Amino acid sequence: MAKFRLDKFKPIVALGVFFVAWWVVPTLSKSFLPFVRLSFTEFQAPAWIVASYLDDLESFWARRSHSKIELIEAGQALARQKAFYQLLDQRNKTLETEVMRLESILDIPSRREFRYEVARVIRRDLNAWWQQLVIRKGKDYGITEGAAVIFAGGVVGRVVEVNAFTSRIELITSPNFRMAGSFEGDIRPVVYQGVPQSGFGSPAGEVRDAPQDLIANTQDPLRLVSTRLGGTFPPGLMIGRVSWLEPGSTGIFQAGTVQLDERLLSLQEVSVLIPLNPLNYDRDVP
Amino acid sequence: MFLDPRAIILCAANALLLFLCLLVNSSLASLSLYLVLLGPMLVLPALYLNHRSFFLCTLFTGLWVDAALPVTFGLFTCGFLAMGTLIAMARIRFRAEHNYHPILLAHITNVACLVLLTVSEGLAYISAPAFWLQLLITALFSHAALLIVAPWFFNLQRLLFELCHTDTEPDEFPIL
Repeated sequence: MAKFRLDKFKPIVALGVFFVAWWVVPTLSKSFLPFVRLSFTEFQAPAWIVASYLDDLESFWARRSHSKIELIEAGQALARQKAFYQLLDQRNKTLETEVMRLESILDIPSRREFRYEVARVIRRDLNAWWQQLVIRKGKDYGITEGAAVIFAGGVVGRVVEVNAFTSRIELITSPNFRMAGSFEGDIRPVVYQGVPQSGFGSPAGEVRDAPQDLIANTQDPLRLVSTRLGGTFPPGLMIGRVSWLEPGSTGIFQAGTVQLDERLLSLQEVSVLIPLNPLNYDRDVP
Repeated sequence: MFLDPRAIILCAANALLLFLCLLVNSSLASLSLYLVLLGPMLVLPALYLNHRSFFLCTLFTGLWVDAALPVTFGLFTCGFLAMGTLIAMARIRFRAEHNYHPILLAHITNVACLVLLTVSEGLAYISAPAFWLQLLITALFSHAALLIVAPWFFNLQRLLFELCHTDTEPDEFPIL
């Protein structure tokens, strides 16, 4: 009869010991596992940053291959755009002055001001389990957790993790993302939430708690925009379009699907809104 | 020797595979396609290394993957060790020097990784048909890609063994 050997159980015993240690260590030191995670994340970050800079270099050399005529034409187009935006800037300044004058007359409390930090997207993780982006700026540029992220088409999402040189953004399409919004021309707040994406067609979200009197149709879709409720996003930023509303599960409010901007899936650059006066929940919230 | 030098080579190869996979995923984001190619990372460490080196290699790989992906920290560290231990205990049944068995194992462990991810991160969405549709597409796409990636990856690992002048044969079999 073969001798019974315990050696073959060594891997199982080692695995068991490891599982017990993994369970016990966080109870002894709460900062140990976050420290390990942070160390590994920071160790990997340079590879992503280098890959991103190499991508920029590739774009640079690709542009260098354009002919002089093409570059001159592009310069002319840019000059026209610049002149147009200079006019818009003048008008914007006039309107801002007018808004400030009216606010002081009506004694309206001051709005939250933001600093815009433009950041390059270095990684997109969009799948069935999570919808996130990684950008090339972190604590080194004063990015804060919970900060709003926007692009030319409107809301992108919210910063969920800030590392030394990179930050992770929860995209607006993610089911974990929720924010207050309102329909353009209507001040009543509604709730926007991301939904699992099918992978076919344009990205979509869901709007809930819409008032009964609102009517949406495909000819004239309602524009869902951000509000200043919550304090994260400035008001008026585009979230998406709603072309159909139906009674929600409660029967009191309506709900519908929000069609989001398709450019969300291929973003190259985003802006992080860093509040100049961050909210102190102990002090500012009654 | 406390640690087989091949463990370091395998860890580096795993980190490279993850990096390339995430780069491809980033480029495919606009097409709503995603690759999960975690299965091949477990196979050769479990088939080639002695128990101690396998454990360290898989532990390091798991921590590396956990830090790179926005999952609950420890999901792949514990998952990889559990799956790898099962493979290591049954490794006498597999031929590591050819690609047939490693590829088969890579597919099985990749399915296990998909299940692990779904149980850990996707339980909140199980009632959404869109979630299952995307999961199905991800699984089909990943396993189709694995048919090409897995043989390349295993050959690369063996080539690295040769280039680094390390032992190219699997370590001694466990005692049964």
